[in-house]
Amino acid sequence: MIFSIFKKELKDTLRDRRTVIMMIVIPILVFPVIMTVFVKISTSFTEEAMTKSVNIGIVNNDKSNEFVDRFNEIPEAIGKRNLIFFKDSSELIKQINADSIQFGIAVPADYAQVSDSTKSVELKVFHNATNVGMDERAEMYLNFIEQQVKSKRYRQLNVNEQQLKPMAVDYQNVASDKETFGKLAGGFLPYLFIAFGFMGCMYPAIDLFTGEKERGTLETLLTTPVSRWHILIGKMGVVVLSGLLAASFTMLGIFLTIEVFDIIKEPRLLEIIHQILTAKFIFMFYLILIPLIVFFAGVMIPIAVYAKTFKEAQSIIAPMNAIIVLPAMVGFFPGIELNITTACIPIINVVLATKELIAGTLEFPMLALSFGIMFALAFISILFSYKRFGKETNLVS
Amino acid sequence: MIRVENLRKEFVLTKKLQKEYATKDKVALAVDNISFECKPGRIFSLLGPNGAGKTTTMRMLSTLFTPTSGTIEIAGIDAIANPNEARKKIGFLTGSTGLYQRLTANEIVKYFADLYGVKKEDYERRKEYLFDLLNMNDFQHKRIGKLSTGMKQKVSICRTMIHDPEVVVFDEPTSGLDVITSENIIKLIRDCKNQGKTVIFSSHIMSEVDLLCDDLAIIHKGKIIFNDTFANFKAGMQTENLTSEFIHLIHQNS
Repeated sequence: MIFSIFKKELKDTLRDRRTVIMMIVIPILVFPVIMTVFVKISTSFTEEAMTKSVNIGIVNNDKSNEFVDRFNEIPEAIGKRNLIFFKDSSELIKQINADSIQFGIAVPADYAQVSDSTKSVELKVFHNATNVGMDERAEMYLNFIEQQVKSKRYRQLNVNEQQLKPMAVDYQNVASDKETFGKLAGGFLPYLFIAFGFMGCMYPAIDLFTGEKERGTLETLLTTPVSRWHILIGKMGVVVLSGLLAASFTMLGIFLTIEVFDIIKEPRLLEIIHQILTAKFIFMFYLILIPLIVFFAGVMIPIAVYAKTFKEAQSIIAPMNAIIVLPAMVGFFPGIELNITTACIPIINVVLATKELIAGTLEFPMLALSFGIMFALAFISILFSYKRFGKETNLVS
Repeated sequence: MIRVENLRKEFVLTKKLQKEYATKDKVALAVDNISFECKPGRIFSLLGPNGAGKTTTMRMLSTLFTPTSGTIEIAGIDAIANPNEARKKIGFLTGSTGLYQRLTANEIVKYFADLYGVKKEDYERRKEYLFDLLNMNDFQHKRIGKLSTGMKQKVSICRTMIHDPEVVVFDEPTSGLDVITSENIIKLIRDCKNQGKTVIFSSHIMSEVDLLCDDLAIIHKGKIIFNDTFANFKAGMQTENLTSEFIHLIHQNS
């Protein structure tokens, strides 16, 4: 009997355009769209940085023009630039604020003299902090000139540069690329799965419970010789399946992004993703996702049963999205790991377990604890849903 | 056969409901110790003004509500102790019944046949009979959302009768329907009577009662104020028509 109810509800749900969009279309498209936008923006930023010519103002009181000569020695590969000369800094500041000049350097009159001595030359860099990256560009140019002057001074002082460098440090990353990727960026994937799992459950839960009440079909259904348990489980099965399908279609979106649309070009990143997306990962991922989705369904169903109209149910469940899905953002922060405490916090435990799973560092006891907590919550939520579903007051409008 | 004895239904009023009904009472008494009997092959009408307790009574008969006290026997089954067994014997139709808009007429009828555990061969036979009787063959594959009100009503009737119930409960079955569509219901009630089924229907429309009724109970403020054959009701009338007599009785018992 549960199967008859499940089959009918699934057919009904799959014929609802709104549910299909939320469950299939958006999850499939979201990752390719996000990645396309991200890749396009980052590529255009890099290209712009390489090709954009920066106007640099020089307040030059250096009569010998030595600073300008040094500046002109900077290779163009570090960035194209035009030097524009000013007599004083006030006009320079005006032009920086008007963005016709991106940053300026005030060079003292005794630049050549001080530079040839062993003292420090005082340079002033004018920049507008809202013009992001310009102070770094200035620092890059000045570092180049400073290195040239340093080398000249070492030669004049007859000092071997190596003698002033007591340590040569070589940092070796002992974590695998997969682990580094998983721990630093792996929080994004479970967030997507959880967010879409929740949204995938939402419309079917409202439609199959509140909708049944609103359409006037609940009364008829409850007069059939089918126990309330069977009706609840049949309907809940469809809600859970919808959530799982939404999460699965999100995964399909990731697969299409990598394998079909060829959006990610970076070979090293592709190799890491291929290492992550294995059959074992998918199995373990579903193992922990299923109780979470059952929990989502178990939280939504009592609300959907309580609500009198689709709108009322939506107005309660939609804000819950923020409360339930926001903790999933914890996964974005590096350093928060799955331990006994975090494994006991619902949702956060799923995010962190998935993150560890991606990184390949998931420990079985922590997985078992997280699964146990989510399984217990899912069970409680089913009992609560049943209690709510069985109430006579559901029929009293 | 339906046998009801000393049936009582109280609803606990939550604070929200107390506010809604503007009362401080913690309990609302909807049905107060009512007893009646509906016999096979006869049409029993439960008549009463709005809020009299008709729908609560019908919902208790169809096992949607559990009575606070009293007994209900449906086709020889104790409906309170064995609600699932009783449900197998009942066909339930209300005027406010909805249908699944995204399913076809065929799919809905099959779904309910499955829920009632109708065997495949019985389902095919019953479906053919009902589809022919109600002239439903032309629109059986159309989705409910695309059907007219009359067609939808036919699907509701078919869904109610697909398991060939012994007892049929109609709760204000024609409310909100036009005369033409109501005619399908009237015909169905008569057919049920002719097939020897036990029929109970609630209404507040006297013309319908006049047309169909064999036995009559009038309910007011949760109590039965008249319970006899319709012929005896007519014989004892103190006013000129049925509607006036009904109003007269209600006022007398207010």
